[in-house]
Amino acid sequence: MLGDPSGRRADSVQARASDASAEPYWSDDPRDVGWVKENVPCQTACPASTNIPAYIRAIYEERYGKAYEINREANVLPGVLGRICSRPCEPACRHGWSGNGESVSICHLKRSAGDLKGTGHRITENLYAPTGKRVAIIGAGPAGVAAAHDLSLLGHDVVIYEREEVPGGMLRYGIPEFRLPRDLLTLELHNALRLGVTLKTGVSIGNGRGETRLFSLLDDYDAVLLATGCMLPSLLPLRDAAKGADPVKGLKDVEYGLDFLVDLHRGESKRVGRRVAVVGAGFTALDCARVSRRLGAEEVTIHIRTTEEYIPVTYDEIFEAKRENVKIKGLRTPVSVKLDDNGRLIGVEFVQNRLGGWRAGGRRQAIPIEGSEFIEPCDTLIVAIGQITENDFLDVKVEMARDGNIRIAGNGMTSVPKLFAAGDYVKGASTVIEAIGHGREIANEVDAWLIGQKRRRQRVRVTPVEAPERERAWDFVARQHMPTLPLGERMKQMGEEVEQGLTRDLAAEESKRCYLCSLRYEIDVDRCIYCRACIEVAPRNCIKLVEDVEVKHDGSYGALKETKDWNQVAAIWIDNNECIRCGACFMVCPVKCISISRCEIVTADV
Amino acid sequence: MPDTTPAATAPHYVIIGVGVSGSQAAAELRDHDRTARITIITASRLPFYQRYDLPRVFNGVHDWRTFMVHQPGYYSDNRITLRRDTRVGGIDAKNRLLHLTHKETVHYDKLLVASGGRPYVPEHLVDYRRLMFGWGSFEDAMAVRQALPDGGHALLLGGDMIGLDLARTLIATGHRVTLVAGEHSFWPHQVPATERPKYLAALQALGLELLEEGDLGGIVAVEQSVAGLPARRVVFGDGSDLHGDVVMPFFGLAPQVEFMAGAGPDIERGLLVQRSLRTTDEHIYAAGNVCQIWSEKDRRYKFYNGWKNVRLMGSVAAANMTGGSDEFRSNPDAEALRLDDQGRIQSPFWEYQ
Repeated sequence: MLGDPSGRRADSVQARASDASAEPYWSDDPRDVGWVKENVPCQTACPASTNIPAYIRAIYEERYGKAYEINREANVLPGVLGRICSRPCEPACRHGWSGNGESVSICHLKRSAGDLKGTGHRITENLYAPTGKRVAIIGAGPAGVAAAHDLSLLGHDVVIYEREEVPGGMLRYGIPEFRLPRDLLTLELHNALRLGVTLKTGVSIGNGRGETRLFSLLDDYDAVLLATGCMLPSLLPLRDAAKGADPVKGLKDVEYGLDFLVDLHRGESKRVGRRVAVVGAGFTALDCARVSRRLGAEEVTIHIRTTEEYIPVTYDEIFEAKRENVKIKGLRTPVSVKLDDNGRLIGVEFVQNRLGGWRAGGRRQAIPIEGSEFIEPCDTLIVAIGQITENDFLDVKVEMARDGNIRIAGNGMTSVPKLFAAGDYVKGASTVIEAIGHGREIANEVDAWLIGQKRRRQRVRVTPVEAPERERAWDFVARQHMPTLPLGERMKQMGEEVEQGLTRDLAAEESKRCYLCSLRYEIDVDRCIYCRACIEVAPRNCIKLVEDVEVKHDGSYGALKETKDWNQVAAIWIDNNECIRCGACFMVCPVKCISISRCEIVTADV
Repeated sequence: MPDTTPAATAPHYVIIGVGVSGSQAAAELRDHDRTARITIITASRLPFYQRYDLPRVFNGVHDWRTFMVHQPGYYSDNRITLRRDTRVGGIDAKNRLLHLTHKETVHYDKLLVASGGRPYVPEHLVDYRRLMFGWGSFEDAMAVRQALPDGGHALLLGGDMIGLDLARTLIATGHRVTLVAGEHSFWPHQVPATERPKYLAALQALGLELLEEGDLGGIVAVEQSVAGLPARRVVFGDGSDLHGDVVMPFFGLAPQVEFMAGAGPDIERGLLVQRSLRTTDEHIYAAGNVCQIWSEKDRRYKFYNGWKNVRLMGSVAAANMTGGSDEFRSNPDAEALRLDDQGRIQSPFWEYQ
């Protein structure tokens, strides 16, 4: 049942009125900071620290432009991320916790903010005065663009050097158009860079002829930021391959996934066989498989080492790939490739795995089972098992970390003075939102180094809220599904976007599902008369009789020590971790001793 | 004063699913432990009934009570709590809690997941699900019975052994049946490509009309038909189409494990279990079409289907949940498909009590 738009408007008016009357205050109290980090799990999980409850509430109020701007404060490419984000926020969402149902469709809502905002929407940028400092950024991918935006905002003159002819990095060259339309990407990149960033494309940094040297940039600029990402494929570790050697080099029918996608997006004509095997478990593997289907492959199979449950891609992507007749087969590792007498690929030999323990980083181990080898026939193999950094362009001696990535200090600077690094080039292959978050973080560090002081920091904004903003019935609203392009239309053109975006009604309905975890419910113990009415109406075990509360080392509150003995009760306490912000306790309290405040981590001037 | 009555201290065994394996396990759990609390939770609106017998609705058997396995007093006599029309939304394995979709929680000491399989519909056909008839429950069977007129035309897509069993009855009761055969035909049996023509010929000898999906460019859509023609239209990749009164997907079963995602036990397609049927969580077992068991012979995790295997799994799980150390051993005959002397298809999948 969809909501009544007119009813929502009435609510919106009320919400605006309450916003106007509420006076926020700013807090650096570790208890407030700790509270937000623990109780707003989506924002904590977001590498860019997006204020998710705030923008979802704005969508509910039909203030799509505001929702877009809230996103943009943390991430300069909301429309892009609304389509291709890896969504670390969704597994963290309290609505998805055991017993609460499915997580909120946060990413789709992010996209709807961009889709539904008015044409001619006004972008908000808080510009700082010019500093006269010059910063060069190498790489116009997500980390470089995010850093460039923030540094130009902070008043620095920024020049981006990009090897390709157009900016975007992995966004443009690594992600197929059916997932990320290029006109939208171009628009949001333009919005990010139009504050005065100079973009020099087709400029390669390196030691070769015609290439720009890094050391000359270090001479010319006050700071240089490396944001070149991870653009070299990880080699396929086949059984008999020598260490460091590429065992599939020169084979006609074998290609690395990233090269396959980059070539395609540079405009090259790509061909695949009838039966395509893709090895890998990430977004690149899925993209290669779906592109292969569009290039005419009849049988496309993704082979993964563990199982579907443990691969780091979203359920939606897996489902859409399967709808396009891509098969996923688990618990197998490639050990060799099989060629015919003419050197053409006829199959891949795998070994069967069983699931092992957990690897560092939260991934499952796959343990090969001896003697369980088998062959899967195929005529094209695409290897998409990860990417590593490319360092050949460095002409200054830079200290590297043990994992082969560049080492940076706490302020983002490498071992070379003035030379900073950000994004995947530092962290190894990660996600777009991680790259953006890191790009912004390092931009702040570069700014602080250039100016000699920090100018921005994160604080908690606490705003009193007059009444609950949710209804109990909303807890039973089912997750809304993204409308998609009919299958018959998908294969006609590579660029047809598959996900069609939420309608206003779908977005409104989905926005109701957010618990608005940034609302903090508290009981004023001095006014509480211990009538227990709140405990009786609570839908979960969220209001507790406690005799003590742990205080963590940073001063924030930790675990509650509950008691059933009235003589030991020191307070009735709302466990905000259990609380689903339904407001039932607030409504029933006879002495109005329960208060609500909105606690948000926001970036503010020092 | 803590409650020490037997009911409060007895272990609580919870079984998800009231099919063959779940019901077998419940009966044997009661035999093994007279004091235990046993609860079966099922999404079905009916107690344990003979799903294998559902084709009989076309023989005029329309009373649901005919399909019941147990007498009405069975569950209360055996002190088994049967909670029907109840769905599990998730499992908190750490605290041994089931979260039901209506927001109730149920504590368990040992849990048996016997939720079975739901008819699998290939992902590219899920948009057309509302235009197709399922065959997973008594309600489904009656809906098909009402939609298919006497002598009407049924289009069977895929052709697993469940569907082929129904096809035999439909033909015997005067209906026209067209099978669109494909890679899922004869599921769960795997028929070698060289023998496939023989088996397809045996189906034609039964009276089935046969089309090969591959020859038609695949199934691309199921549509509502126009007035004057049978109610449904199946559209193929080569532009051809086929009309019928009902369209039924028979692409095998997909294990119903969605509610187990993130709970802890390992999942590939089904729950991965040892031969003891214990999952990677010491308090959770799985039996029936929902679990995959490591096969030394095939060097992979396998599903074991068929009535005999599934019932045996229920017994093994019950024994081990109550402290036993049984192991599941599949009967090789239970997996074999063959043609008899008269060229008729014989499958253990069709042999049930």
